[in-house]
Amino acid sequence: MICRKGFEIFLLGFLILFIGCVLRPETRSTLRSPGDLPGCYAIFPVKPWESVHKIEATIGGGSSSLIGVTKGEPSEHRLQSVLLSPEGFILFDAELSGGGMAVRKALDPFHSPAFARGLMEDVSLLFFPPQVKPTAWGKETDGTMICVWEGPDESHTEISGSMESGWKILRRNKQGKIIKKAVLHGPFVSGLASRVELWSFKPASYRLRMTLIQAFQ
Amino acid sequence: MKRFVFLSVFIAAAVFSAEMALAQDLTSLKEAFRNIRSVKAEFLQKRSLTILTKPLLSEGKLFLSTPDSLRWEYLSPLRSVMLRKGNKIQIYNFSDGFWKPEMAQAAESRRMVLLEISLWFQGRFDESKAFKHSYFPGPPEHVILVSGEGINKFINRIEIILSVRPGVIDRVEIEEPGGSRTSIEFKNVELNSSLSSEVFEKP
Repeated sequence: MICRKGFEIFLLGFLILFIGCVLRPETRSTLRSPGDLPGCYAIFPVKPWESVHKIEATIGGGSSSLIGVTKGEPSEHRLQSVLLSPEGFILFDAELSGGGMAVRKALDPFHSPAFARGLMEDVSLLFFPPQVKPTAWGKETDGTMICVWEGPDESHTEISGSMESGWKILRRNKQGKIIKKAVLHGPFVSGLASRVELWSFKPASYRLRMTLIQAFQ
Repeated sequence: MKRFVFLSVFIAAAVFSAEMALAQDLTSLKEAFRNIRSVKAEFLQKRSLTILTKPLLSEGKLFLSTPDSLRWEYLSPLRSVMLRKGNKIQIYNFSDGFWKPEMAQAAESRRMVLLEISLWFQGRFDESKAFKHSYFPGPPEHVILVSGEGINKFINRIEIILSVRPGVIDRVEIEEPGGSRTSIEFKNVELNSSLSSEVFEKP
């Protein structure tokens, strides 16, 4: 009796998998089509921009509200990021330029080099595409773009989504584990998503919820 | 020689007289603030950063009860409140429909600002530990606070512009090193209205 029930569960699982495989061709991607390549860059600003975000950070058991100001120059891969307290105190001010990072100001608890590196990685992940061509990309028949970049350190960046359904960015380490995940929601204003949720899992675990307050290009 | 002595005496008398007048003005200024038991006001803050083309605008409310209770609340773009009652200072942010206590983020700077604001609204400019004050009868009547060692890394000077209405501050201008500045304009100022103590204890 028990054996029969086990077989039925196995059969049900097999059928679900089988139906899944049968349906899959309907949403099959067209791989590495040159016409789809621009879609991999749709979520990144192409012109110089400045933006202000409301940021709700959840770290450990605590939470913090901040204002994030970002100014970027995509063609030069240059970016300045400033974190302010709600009263307008500058808590953190750093710039990425020419592959290097300069921290102008960092107050406790934002003064550790690991925090500065992590924050600028987050900002780069959200605003700049990887500087190399994707290794794989494609568009599913429902319009969903999927793009994969391989980093120099064997990390991977994956972007998937559409302007209608929103976008997801995943950064994986060389072991394939997700170390950062971001979900972007439209509408896009001056090339920037209105709402962003970012989870960082390694080395530090935290969540940022960002709401666009103002943006200029 | 006689002319020189006369000139010296004249200059000394003029300086003494000006200092006396200034001291008199500052005394009358403090007197105007001395009658204040509470302040309720709305404010508009314009934060100008060198990185931004347009200033960042924030709106909020202020509640003060002398001598040591203050509520400094932002309504937009972030809802956040700093509460001071005596030596106790609490900071909360509004998120997901709830007030959540702030992690210790620049707590010292924020504590200092709350203490300074409490002093300004009571005309106790000479009691600041962080700034040296100078009074200018105007018009507009204003007080300039120059930061001391340590604070000058963050703030160069603060200008407090007083209203013609005794004991009321119209505007505060804060200048930082590097060219960034903050302007806070106060409006709908109510003096000596009754304020519940809960205003300073709960977000």
